[in-house]
Amino acid sequence: MASPRDRLPVTVLTGYLGSGKTTLLNRILTHEHGLKVAVIVNEFGDVGIDNQLVIEADEEIFEMNNGCICCTVRGDLIRIIGNLMKRRDRFDHLVIETTGLADPAPVIQTFFVDEDLRDELKLDAVVTLVDLKHVEQHWDCEEVQEQLAFADVLLLNKIDLVDVEACVAIQQRTRALNPLARVIPTCQADAAMDQILGVEAFSLERALAIDPEFLTSDHDHEHDGAVGSVAFIEERPMSYKKLERWIDRLVSERGPDLFRMKGILRIDGDSHRYVFQSVHMLIDSTRDRPWRDGETPSTQFVIIGRDLDEAALRAGFEACVA
Amino acid sequence: MAAPPTLVQERLCGACSHAITAQAWSADGELLAMATAGGELLLIDFRAGCEEWLRGERDCSLDVAGFSADDRFLMAAGQDGKLLLWELGGSGVRPIAFDPLPLGGHWLDAAAWQPQGSLLAVGAGKQVRLWDGASRSLRPESQELKGTVLALAWSRDGRRLAAVCHGEVLLWSPDDPVQAPQRCATGSAGLSLGWSGQGNLLASGQLDGSLMLWPDGGAGRGWQFRGFPGKARALTWCDQPGRLAPLLAVASADIAVLWSQQDRGAKGWKPEPLVLHEGRVHAVAFAPGSSLLATASGDGTVGLWDGRGRLQQLLEGDGQAITSLSWRPDGRHLVAGGEQGQWWLWPVTLPPSVRSRPPSPGGFAP
Repeated sequence: MASPRDRLPVTVLTGYLGSGKTTLLNRILTHEHGLKVAVIVNEFGDVGIDNQLVIEADEEIFEMNNGCICCTVRGDLIRIIGNLMKRRDRFDHLVIETTGLADPAPVIQTFFVDEDLRDELKLDAVVTLVDLKHVEQHWDCEEVQEQLAFADVLLLNKIDLVDVEACVAIQQRTRALNPLARVIPTCQADAAMDQILGVEAFSLERALAIDPEFLTSDHDHEHDGAVGSVAFIEERPMSYKKLERWIDRLVSERGPDLFRMKGILRIDGDSHRYVFQSVHMLIDSTRDRPWRDGETPSTQFVIIGRDLDEAALRAGFEACVA
Repeated sequence: MAAPPTLVQERLCGACSHAITAQAWSADGELLAMATAGGELLLIDFRAGCEEWLRGERDCSLDVAGFSADDRFLMAAGQDGKLLLWELGGSGVRPIAFDPLPLGGHWLDAAAWQPQGSLLAVGAGKQVRLWDGASRSLRPESQELKGTVLALAWSRDGRRLAAVCHGEVLLWSPDDPVQAPQRCATGSAGLSLGWSGQGNLLASGQLDGSLMLWPDGGAGRGWQFRGFPGKARALTWCDQPGRLAPLLAVASADIAVLWSQQDRGAKGWKPEPLVLHEGRVHAVAFAPGSSLLATASGDGTVGLWDGRGRLQQLLEGDGQAITSLSWRPDGRHLVAGGEQGQWWLWPVTLPPSVRSRPPSPGGFAP
């Protein structure tokens, strides 16, 4: 098993049709970032560059456990990345492009569920491109909401095609849906490479950054079935046992609706902070560094999902105070 | 006939530039082919005492290689989706390359020659294509599966072909197009497939850490065995008959599990975990003509076991993970390949505890 440092970082690239994925891929492949990047695409036609490190794959979903959404993985990735890893010396970053209509969850889950991929690769970030000009038209599309909800980096692309008010409005909308992602307005997907590759968004050691404004502001309640987010902040220490029980029950009852959760936890009687994340039912948590001087120990907890009952979730969360 | 060569004793190892992905012996045991993740294909001719790089290093890997049953053809395929074929004229004669055959741009990693026949089955995406050595051409028809072909296996008599994808195994007789293919549900994706001689049992090692077994060439109701520590990534059948069925070895996580049928029915199958390796077991292979089992591991060692799961010997390379194994058809020489391109050829003396038949004709004497 490779040490975390030696594991190959993987960036997952999502975005609705026409949002600029191809432009970004071509930029990644031609940019002088000093990284040898292998790219898995859906169709060779997508990239205009003749590159032996561009590999075509058919998105093939494997249901690992009787169709449970949380246990679906991308089977083609298991096979192709397995083959590709024998050529590990040829590249040092992997980018996976998903089709415009794909739910990103199976791709993400593949890297946590498959024993080989889990040992040899690490998910770096989910980068989602948003077409500022057209996103309003397909905002209610399930896949668009999932792509926004799973993003670690949101590129609000085509900023040159919309006015400032429209851009701000969409930015606020995406924030409400996903307060965890880093939002970067771009034109021609011209984000700096270090904001896309080597982000380490899935690293538990990396503190999560929640927009402080989001934590305090009131949110509009969306209609039923909508994807949204809730965030809690609590300065009183929490009980690890109670939190564990609450989260376990939550994911077993609501797993398919809970896209992502992230938290920094202040645990009763512990000088270290804990960090936590989940993707559907896959949970990962660890005891992190000690709280620093000048830092106010507190718990920050964000849930992104569908049909979230904020009052009930808040009650469940607050019952975990030690 | 030339005198038996002594080259094997002189040269026991060598190196390619990249991870060895496949190793294959010709039926007469005189030729050895090795493919690598760097696209190399090395052909070693033991009788003539020479070697030739049929393909040099390139950007696309090769992932399968094999000789036809009559040793007339060598095939290799990999990342670029093209089927490579050579016509062989025997020892000392340079192979003649056919034009590469594009099969739709899929990464090709499942292919198998028909035993006692001239067909080559290749998994290309969701299709199985057949190349016929008799006509030297690709058959126009193809067999469709509902998912990407992950593994292929011919029955020992070469009449039945099995292909596995996520959810099912498909079985058919390529020379009997009238007969509809038979489907066996698996509930998971098959990673490895193998057909026994005795009993005509079909085994599928699966992604969900289970093993499926179908008696009577897939006609009987399948058994499923769970509890493997990881995916069942490789399997091998012993060619020696057992009381009810031959031995079966399955690689999963750091162990190999030796299965024997001691009674009729599902409960009659007994697993014996072979615990030794400290890294993933990548390959398992029974020596032809005996119950000697070789297991290759990421810890850089090869274990040799008798048919009751007792370790006979531990072979070591130079520390690099061992990813590939292939027995010479005489069952007396084992070649192994590493993830950094090193290969080793070991002459193996059978231990007394291993049942055996005489080595197949054509091989050089130990």
